Amino acid sequence: MLKAVKPKNARAARAMKAREPQQNENPKTTLFVTGQKTSQILKLAVADLATLKRPFVERFTKKNDIHPFDDASSLEFFSLKNDTSLLALSLHSKKRPHCLTLVRTFDHKLLDMLELYINPETFRTLQQFKNKKPSIGLKPLISFHGTVFEDPNETKYTLAKSLLVDLFRGQDTDEVDVEGLQYLISVSAEEPTDSRPNPEIKLRFYLLRTKRSGQKLPRVEVEEMGPRIDFTLGREQFPDADMLKEAMRKPKGTEERTKKNVSTDAMGDKVAKIHPGKQDFNTLQTRKMKGLKRSRDEDIEGDAQMADADSGDEVDSDALKQALLKKAKNQ
Amino acid sequence: MNGGVALDTHSHLADRINGGAMDVDAPSNAALSVADSTATGRLPVAVNKPTPFTFDLGNLLAHDPNPIPAEADEEALAATARDAAQALINQLLSTCEIKSTSEGVHLVLPAPQMALPREKPIPKAKEQTKWERFAAKKGIKDKKRDGNKVYDEATGDWVPKWGYKGKNKEAESSWLVEVDEKKEAKTGEAHDARAESRHERKERTRRNERKQRANEAKSRKPGV
Repeated sequence: MLKAVKPKNARAARAMKAREPQQNENPKTTLFVTGQKTSQILKLAVADLATLKRPFVERFTKKNDIHPFDDASSLEFFSLKNDTSLLALSLHSKKRPHCLTLVRTFDHKLLDMLELYINPETFRTLQQFKNKKPSIGLKPLISFHGTVFEDPNETKYTLAKSLLVDLFRGQDTDEVDVEGLQYLISVSAEEPTDSRPNPEIKLRFYLLRTKRSGQKLPRVEVEEMGPRIDFTLGREQFPDADMLKEAMRKPKGTEERTKKNVSTDAMGDKVAKIHPGKQDFNTLQTRKMKGLKRSRDEDIEGDAQMADADSGDEVDSDALKQALLKKAKNQ
Repeated sequence: MNGGVALDTHSHLADRINGGAMDVDAPSNAALSVADSTATGRLPVAVNKPTPFTFDLGNLLAHDPNPIPAEADEEALAATARDAAQALINQLLSTCEIKSTSEGVHLVLPAPQMALPREKPIPKAKEQTKWERFAAKKGIKDKKRDGNKVYDEATGDWVPKWGYKGKNKEAESSWLVEVDEKKEAKTGEAHDARAESRHERKERTRRNERKQRANEAKSRKPGV
């Protein structure tokens, strides 16, 4: 473990502060680690994934003797040292050929893992497709095809979906440039059958081309840009329930406050109920007529009359007083 | 026009492969209006699927629950991906607020729906200092400070409360001080009011630093 050290200078202090838990988190960085033995296919796949993941990527070039399903402590250590919460370990063996293990950590502790066995027959690199590639750091469109990803239970496929979205989604943003919608990541899996209970997942990257369709919306065309990766799912480790609950917690104050009396209707228009308050009838402008106009000398009189009219019950009480006085006199 | 025809055949091919799962709307297109009928090369933009897509626009994510046909080739995969892209872009352009600025046209995305685990736990609230706890208990509110200047009645101008030529150093730099005879008698030494004032001021700052360190140590303790 790293010791809780006091930063020696302001730059170190800033760097340490940036690594502390944040209310609004920075995008997850991915660390690509090489195992004791790797294959050419894995090297190419990792290179392409790292290219697509830039700039949120770290790569290790040296080999590390790590077997995450036996002991993941060194991956946790790497996660802590490099401040990366997504790790991809490439390891090739006879039993598990071309195996890329996706590892996710929470608070630098292992959360979940999944093995992807890349199919070497169908693998194609980014460079094998001769076309223009999208610029770095763009947020991709992602689509999942197939019923296996829609399973309400926790399966390998839903775990794969969660990991792949986490891996590729890029920066969290509330605004996106239309020009930046340049590529689509399509993840598809066939239906599981009795002969093939674990269908391959097909990972495809497509460039998007939009064409004028003569209508409001453009016509979208796709063109494969690579890499083309097919993989089957190997061993997995599902997240610990308590840890996942902690990891899924939303910070307070982020949920949008519901505004009273304001809603959006089916057409997307804002509908609100407003309360204008009580109207003052004394200042109300009624119809203007010459007959209702008061002349200047009438003004004072009129005011006096108004005052009389207002104090109606006062008059009553005066009458009562006078009656009482009369009574007293008589006595 | 040529491109349009080519695309039409392409979509027919996709139709055949998908076994009618994907109906690119050629007939509905034809029945649009008389004015449109001249433009035969109109490209279809609607996506019709047996099960509709669900979207998570905050993550630019589309879920397509329709099964992929067995032994789908690259073209079929591209066709399904195209449909998803088209549907996602249709959804984005029709439901999101569009902002056009000098930098370009931006779409305002809603908050992401798909729950993904955080990287690190939510930061804990900073522990209150001893003074803050005491103030809360006693209901003491922070005093509003209005700058570092105070009016000096003797000279008639504004002088700093602390710092260079600060008001808090007045007693230690005054040209004339009273001798505290009682104190002198008690200690038996010459009483220096200036030195004493300075000593007191320095002691106050040292005391504050001590408290700061204690609070810091206390807040750090449970974590490490």
